[in-house]
Amino acid sequence: MADEEIVKLVNEVFEESFEIEPERLKPDAHVFNDLGLDSLDTVDLVVALQQKFGVKIRSDQRVRAIRTLDDIYGFIAAVREESRDS
Amino acid sequence: MRVICLNVSFYLLFLLCSLVVIPILAVYVTLVSLTGPRRRTLKHLRKAISWYGTMALLLPFPWVRVKAEDHRGDAGPDTAIYVFNHRSMSDPFLVVCLFWMDREIEGIQVVNIWPFRIPVLGLLARLAGYLSVREMETEDFFARSAEYLEDGVSVVYFPEGTRSGGREMGQFHGSAFRLALRTGKPIVPVCIVGNERIPPRGSLVLHPGTIRVRALPALMHDDYKDLTPFQLKNRVWQLMADETAKMDAELGGKWEVGSGR
Repeated sequence: MADEEIVKLVNEVFEESFEIEPERLKPDAHVFNDLGLDSLDTVDLVVALQQKFGVKIRSDQRVRAIRTLDDIYGFIAAVREESRDS
Repeated sequence: MRVICLNVSFYLLFLLCSLVVIPILAVYVTLVSLTGPRRRTLKHLRKAISWYGTMALLLPFPWVRVKAEDHRGDAGPDTAIYVFNHRSMSDPFLVVCLFWMDREIEGIQVVNIWPFRIPVLGLLARLAGYLSVREMETEDFFARSAEYLEDGVSVVYFPEGTRSGGREMGQFHGSAFRLALRTGKPIVPVCIVGNERIPPRGSLVLHPGTIRVRALPALMHDDYKDLTPFQLKNRVWQLMADETAKMDAELGGKWEVGSGR
């Protein structure tokens, strides 16, 4: 899956699940400080990403390191790559 | 000069009154506890805390005036999730305005650790069942809060989590709104304006002014049941941002004389 496709689908999650305007979804946007999610919202975010990409990431420790949209794009790309290799 | 008079008189009176009032209230609650069930004792303890808070708010009169405005309407619920904006250290005392609006309201506050560390007052808060959100597991916190609501005890939140120190409202944490979605209880937004310098962030110096506390119409379950927690949080945030802006404008947008500005 191309990087642009990952960006598009991740952004869709934020637009659909959190009603965040597309223009705010910049790669360096901080999930908490800029987009207004809190720790409880990240649980919903993880569920939405799992549904969108068909991956299981809930217990992945790397989720805790996510701070920006760019981090999410990179994380999803890595998870997709790992599931392809296995 | 006004600022000096206000602070000297307030802190002296606050100390003296606390030394007298707290023991009296302790005796009162102890007597109640000997004659009835625990639930009744807790109700009286929370009422005693409201009386103490009322005393604290009246002490700086006439330099500081507090006006409570009940805009909940006829359908104003007693038991609800009350959501306050948070500008100043005086906000937890201003919650007593709910009691002024409706004597039937019994509530506990959700706090962020530090209030429990205040001598005496922190102990009273713990005994009254206030919830320290950061010291509890999430599910325990929600379960306890839901029990309170079922029992007719309102839960009071400051969802910004910390004082904004000014007129801008910080982002909201979502637990108040998740609790609402879980329990179906009404949400009552309550806006506080005028106390940004009573006292200012990082200081204990009170400045003269008028504080207004306005309870808005409740959002009932039907109003919000189809929203996600994030949407509900932002909906209430916007309601309160709009209302506090209106209230700030009604205050004239100017500092009181003697504020140093």
